Amino acid sequence: MNKRARNRLIGVTAIVLLIIGVVLVTTMQSNGAYSKSVDDVLKDKTLVGKRVRVSGSVVPGSWDKGSNPMNFAIKAEKGGEGGVIKVSYKGAAPNTFGDGVVAIVTGTLQSNGQIESSDMITKCPSKYESATGAMTVANLVADKDMGITFTKVTGYVVPDSLVAPGSSERFKISDKPDGSGVTVSVAYAGAVPDGMTAGKKIVVSGKPNKDGTFAAAEVAVDAAQK
Amino acid sequence: MTSFGNLLLALGLAGAIASVLALLWGDRLGKKDGERATNVGYLVTFGVAILLTISLGLLLVAFFRNDFTFQYVAENHSTDVSSLAWLFKISAVWAGREGSLLLWAWMLSLFGSWFAYKRLDVTDRLSNMGLMVVNVVQALFFAAMLFSNPNDPFKASPAEWLGPNGQLLISSAMNPLLQHWAMILHPPTLFIGYAGLTLPFALAVAAIIVNDGSRDWVDLIGRETVFAWLFLGMGIGLGAVWAYVVLGWGGYWAWDPVENASLLPWLTGVGLLHSFTVYRRRDGFKKWAISLAGVTFALVILGTFITRSGIVQSVHAFDKDPFSLYLFLFMILGALAVTIGGMLWRGQTFAGHDEFESLTAKEAAYYFNNVLMLVAAILVAYLTVSSALPRFFPGGGQNFSAATYDAVARPVGILYVLILAFCPLLSWRKTEGATLWERVRWPLVSTAILSIPLLAEWYFNLRPIYAAQNPTAPALVSAMHNIEAVVGLVVGAFAISTAIFLFVDGARKRAASRGEGFGTALWQIMSKARSQTGGYITHLGVGIILIGLVGSAMFVRDIKIQVPATPGASAKAGEYTFVFQKVENNTLPNGDQETKAYFAVTRNGKSIGTLTPGQLAYAVQGQTRLNASVVSEPLRDVFVALEGQQNNQLSLNVKINPLIWFTWIGFAILLLGTTVALWPRGAKARELATSESRAGSRSAKANTKAAVG
Repeated sequence: MNKRARNRLIGVTAIVLLIIGVVLVTTMQSNGAYSKSVDDVLKDKTLVGKRVRVSGSVVPGSWDKGSNPMNFAIKAEKGGEGGVIKVSYKGAAPNTFGDGVVAIVTGTLQSNGQIESSDMITKCPSKYESATGAMTVANLVADKDMGITFTKVTGYVVPDSLVAPGSSERFKISDKPDGSGVTVSVAYAGAVPDGMTAGKKIVVSGKPNKDGTFAAAEVAVDAAQK
Repeated sequence: MTSFGNLLLALGLAGAIASVLALLWGDRLGKKDGERATNVGYLVTFGVAILLTISLGLLLVAFFRNDFTFQYVAENHSTDVSSLAWLFKISAVWAGREGSLLLWAWMLSLFGSWFAYKRLDVTDRLSNMGLMVVNVVQALFFAAMLFSNPNDPFKASPAEWLGPNGQLLISSAMNPLLQHWAMILHPPTLFIGYAGLTLPFALAVAAIIVNDGSRDWVDLIGRETVFAWLFLGMGIGLGAVWAYVVLGWGGYWAWDPVENASLLPWLTGVGLLHSFTVYRRRDGFKKWAISLAGVTFALVILGTFITRSGIVQSVHAFDKDPFSLYLFLFMILGALAVTIGGMLWRGQTFAGHDEFESLTAKEAAYYFNNVLMLVAAILVAYLTVSSALPRFFPGGGQNFSAATYDAVARPVGILYVLILAFCPLLSWRKTEGATLWERVRWPLVSTAILSIPLLAEWYFNLRPIYAAQNPTAPALVSAMHNIEAVVGLVVGAFAISTAIFLFVDGARKRAASRGEGFGTALWQIMSKARSQTGGYITHLGVGIILIGLVGSAMFVRDIKIQVPATPGASAKAGEYTFVFQKVENNTLPNGDQETKAYFAVTRNGKSIGTLTPGQLAYAVQGQTRLNASVVSEPLRDVFVALEGQQNNQLSLNVKINPLIWFTWIGFAILLLGTTVALWPRGAKARELATSESRAGSRSAKANTKAAVG
């Protein structure tokens, strides 16, 4: 290739790459966000003024969906030191948003410790139980002779079956949301989780009693529930 | 039964390794003495394909029999009860991590067998070494399935999952998001593309090993590469359609890591295909062809590395698996080292005869094609994995939102389409100013004419949307956005105009010189010069896509409204009025609960249809899927998702996507053009074409020698 053409080729390539580079760097600076934990954000003062992406569970009662910008607080999902970050969020809240829901918030950390954000996605919190691996009610009933020691069962809360703690039958679950079909009575003395209402899919861990009821050690809402 | 599957895979691994060794040994012994070893290598390739077919069949039968002793069947069987239910039994095979890897390995074995069958009578060194490399890759895929538990498709279900009659006791099943027709087709088309792109890589390595810089290796797999790229494109398109209707956010591309993973090899694949053209016609761009073959394959593996290693968090990435991480990383680095290293080591062999004199040369356009595609792929790959990189890398440890990708993709994309439009108008080596003007005149006129309705659409319909969605945007930002949009529309019109001009001008010239009618001449060109015709049709499609992208990516109207759930109640979103009609609740035979809300939609008083957004609550999986509803008008789609119900009010998310049908139609035309380019000719026509273009490249070499000497 003659020298002039080669030089022009290199020159034009360099200009194109330079322009792309400049565009890239400027947008990266304004849109890049560091993935940090709740503790990191609370402790690391160098993050102030920077964009961060924090994942935490929404502190119950700390939010009001109607207000805009919506203020709420998040805390570490598991472990951590219990600190809480306040978030000021502009935009529509995802419809899965609520108490205990894990929110991945991307925004700028202010000097007052608050995060200003307009970018949030929500995930199902890990303290909800996953229904994968849990037995269905019908199979639990059919297999009560198998001598199961400890297992998970998933089903829908039968309407009007939930009563206050103290009785041997706390609530019933069935494989159908309207409560028809095979049901099983569950004995449970603890607090039922928020969001456990009639027709809701829950996951119960425990073991079946000889009389056909199920003794629950833990009750959680199915992780995939909205 | 599951251990039988593992046995088949182990035999397959042994076969692939045996084939590699046989082919290497046969090559060492030479053409005559090594013939038997070489033949063994070919025959074992067929054997491996048979083993994988049986393995896949095993899994398929297990799904049809609901054999839950297979953990994969337990976790991925579909709960669909519609008329498509039997199709989901088949698609369940690739619904999960392990099955999709098995499907990919099977397709690779089919491509290997096709190649082996094609070259069985010849068994030239180039083909032997190419087949050897294919079997190396095949062996690594077997290793991925055999030595990593998360990847093993033949795990046995834990005993406690099964009741006495073999029924499944746990509540696991196929993810509801995958129970959609687009998800039946999307993985297979993608994997045809991924597996197919192994062949150009294999033959590039073979050319390096055999030290043969001639076009022979390109001739062997050139058409097959187009085929693979076509299917990869189809797969990407199907994924976009699925995202649009199932994910419920009203868009078709979010720069999600998994989406980016499939796009990367498609981008460099374009460079590869065009480098092959220059290789065959002008005996040039050889180093480009070798490196892009290697880079494209490396990016194919990078895609699966991103989704299976766990280094990047995404809504659709699988859980992390260290073995996969190291294996695929090794394949990526190995592929790059072997092709680029080999090409440098054998630099003389792959020195091209692609000298050109000016930037107005066709070669220059091809060069910028390659540069832009390579840069685009590198940037997208970098931004995708940036969060896994250490802090001292620029952007290391950070995640980047769609805004970053868009900011770079839009100007690069527009520049790219401009070059794409110009390239066919240019001559090899150099285009004289007068000639260029002669060729670009009519396209410019046509662009001006096409721009009138496009700019009117921008001015009256699109511009106000941006202002409404971004009321606080600074004037400069708003101006930049609109300038970018206008330039995009005009460049799209230019690409369409040049494509049409090339057909019309070519037909007119042929009609004049051969005394044919215009129609006859046009038909003759289209049916005989299929590569060229297909290419121009594809470029036409790209121009239309660009127009669609400007509308549907840059001017989406996003509105949330509440409609009271009483018949006749209405709410307005932009110029559209939604009138509530009724809600239907329906329980399906498998216990799933379907909710559908019916709305009559009007625009400025005119009825445009009924929208039925809804939700489907899957009983077994305990998951709810949004079933969005779309009504298409020529210039925009009205997309509605039912978000929820509160206090007798229905919350709707309405998205108005302007010009989105231009994107879908443009993409369909792109696929059509590629298919035309691919369409095989009769054997006689093929011979004629090959000798013609060999003469062409010989004269190119002669011209170069003359110019230099």
